[in-house]
Amino acid sequence: MGGTLAAGIIAPIVGFVIHPWLKETVYGIEDFINIGKLDDFPIGIPKKMTVTSSKMDAWNIFEGLVIGSLWVIRHEDNSLNVFSTNCPHLGCGIDWGTEENMFLCPCHGGVFDKSGKKVAGPSSRGLYSFETKIENSNILVSCKKV
Amino acid sequence: MANKLSEWIENRTGLNNLLKKALNEPVRGGAKWYYIFGSGLVFLFVIQAVTGIVMSSFYSPSSTAAWGSVYYIQEKTSFGWFIRGLHHFGSSAMIILAIVHMFQVFIFGAYKKPRELNWISGVILLIFLMGFGLTGYLLPWDQKGYWATQVATNIIGTIPVVGDYIKILHQGGSDYGNFTLTRFYTLHVFVLPISLLFFLFIHIALFRKHGVTPYWKLSEETLRTRIDPFWPNQVFMDIVFAIGMYAALAGWVFWNGGAELQAPADPASNYLARPEWYFLFLFELLKYCQGKFLIVGTVIIPSLALIFLFVLPFIDRSELRWPSKRIPFFAAVFSGLAAAIALTTTTIVHDNRDIHIVHQREDAEKQADRAKKLAANGIPPAGGLAIFLNDPLTLGEKIFNESCNGCHMVKGKGGDSGPDFTNFGSREWVSELLKNPKDNKYFKDSGAMPPVKVPDESLRDMTEFLLSKSGSLTNKNDESIERGKELVLKGNCVICHPIGDKEEKKVAPNLTDYLSETWLKEFIKNPGDIKFYGTRNNMPGFSDKLNDKELDALIQYLFSLSKDRLLVSENENNEVYTSGQSFFYTKLKLKTILDSFVCLR
Repeated sequence: MGGTLAAGIIAPIVGFVIHPWLKETVYGIEDFINIGKLDDFPIGIPKKMTVTSSKMDAWNIFEGLVIGSLWVIRHEDNSLNVFSTNCPHLGCGIDWGTEENMFLCPCHGGVFDKSGKKVAGPSSRGLYSFETKIENSNILVSCKKV
Repeated sequence: MANKLSEWIENRTGLNNLLKKALNEPVRGGAKWYYIFGSGLVFLFVIQAVTGIVMSSFYSPSSTAAWGSVYYIQEKTSFGWFIRGLHHFGSSAMIILAIVHMFQVFIFGAYKKPRELNWISGVILLIFLMGFGLTGYLLPWDQKGYWATQVATNIIGTIPVVGDYIKILHQGGSDYGNFTLTRFYTLHVFVLPISLLFFLFIHIALFRKHGVTPYWKLSEETLRTRIDPFWPNQVFMDIVFAIGMYAALAGWVFWNGGAELQAPADPASNYLARPEWYFLFLFELLKYCQGKFLIVGTVIIPSLALIFLFVLPFIDRSELRWPSKRIPFFAAVFSGLAAAIALTTTTIVHDNRDIHIVHQREDAEKQADRAKKLAANGIPPAGGLAIFLNDPLTLGEKIFNESCNGCHMVKGKGGDSGPDFTNFGSREWVSELLKNPKDNKYFKDSGAMPPVKVPDESLRDMTEFLLSKSGSLTNKNDESIERGKELVLKGNCVICHPIGDKEEKKVAPNLTDYLSETWLKEFIKNPGDIKFYGTRNNMPGFSDKLNDKELDALIQYLFSLSKDRLLVSENENNEVYTSGQSFFYTKLKLKTILDSFVCLR
């Protein structure tokens, strides 16, 4: 009898608490986000860009919200490498070392080259990269797929 | 292995021993159904605590986020509406049960020596319960909570000398804002629960020390010989009661589709402030304590009632528990209860009979439904109220109030030189117009049209036909439209009114597409046009005063006045709902319930 009562109380509570497993709570980020004109990016030198997008965060709708930043490297053939600014080890923000010509993580000494490959440090992989496309000379980045 | 583990734990904690001691508590006179209320209250408190804790993982206590987070709990989560409903109605159940418990204790004389402190700690717990109700009411930051709590904090302000200081401290500043919510939240989820637990511990410890107070008629012999342990008989009764209460509570939540959530708090509105039902008697009392006597209702009477409860064990010092030996105290306590019931009933009856209050409630419900509809597309960071900024209905209502309400009354409010727009454009409104255009509700003596003298059924058919081209009529009846067409086109109407050709002009308004969006737009722009009222027109034209967006918004609002019109929602699902919306909302609640089950599956 007590078990039935407990089950009747616990079942809806569990259903409520696991809501983030059942439904997306943060969504609505644009598929491809414009981060600027191709000509604005110097060839061979990584440039850090702030990314803004509309976004649904639980009950709120945001327009032009800063959702993160990216390292963008334009190559001579106008192809692009776009990397996450977070270290794949534990998520610290990574910097571009001008003298070292490498991406450096200040937390645990992670080092990554221009193509995002791990050179040194504890990370088990290279930098996270994003899918890009160019339309009308604008660089569009998909921040959804890493 | 399990035995060894159990022994290991027992050696270090003494848990089994403690449990045995608790379950073997002697119940003098045997287990009885009238001892179930205290444990019932503990059960409800656990429900409140658990539902409150899980809701706090979704809730955000700020003036810009509170309404949105409660909306999210209510409408977007699985079972959120049920959990919130349990918490909301559970608080009422606790108040009812606390009062029943208090009266059982009073009638049994269980406050008498040596149980004085048990009674006092119980009164303190009752005050805490009311504190929970008061602080929790504001947390959704909706119209209902906002305005009711305004009254409560203003009551605090009436306390002589220190009132204003306490009020400012309580609301976190001179006006309502973020700090009001953070303070009420802190009180509701930290201060009150911790305080309540502390006094509950004392209350139960004292109860264990002194034991139950048996029925006064039981003889000493029975009490000596009939002693049950708490387990299993009394526990069984307590669990049966808990199951019954939970079933009733869950049923009530289902029946109501969860707790109500009104539109976001709007400090500029004139919302009808009413507290939760268990504070209504105090609210009503204030109507009788006006001017300099306000303090009698806000401070003196409530304080005297509380002081009476606190000192009761010390003024009723006789050891006799028979009610017939305690008549003055029974008279005092039951007159207090009767007065509270009478005051509560007076408010409820008055509110249900006052047509302005009924209309205000209808409007509030409509606004709440609208708010939920708009919030489905996301709430701007500026807060719940910002959802109305780009809402055509809200803009339309504003324009109506500023430009039309001076002549056109709605639900008893506004001028009466033009037709009354209550339920404007509905079947009822049009058929009554046909029946008697000179009625006070319509054109009065300025009406040139004679009444349409046909049987009621024919009148309904004519109305159906006239409104059939308005483009937004619910439940159209094609047969009725055909019959109406016959009556209108072959009857006297077309002698004065052109119908069929939009540009045709006669002595009375052209009724082609009568009350449709286009018809209304053209009419509002220039009612003096020859195809409408021509030289007999008294209404100003709005072609220069309203732009297209404003005109569209005004028409949306006019459509919303009729219970027979459809509004096409702006969201991508393109759901359609009536301006009355109750059916839609019921469907929505049902959908939420079904969604919850789908999600669980």
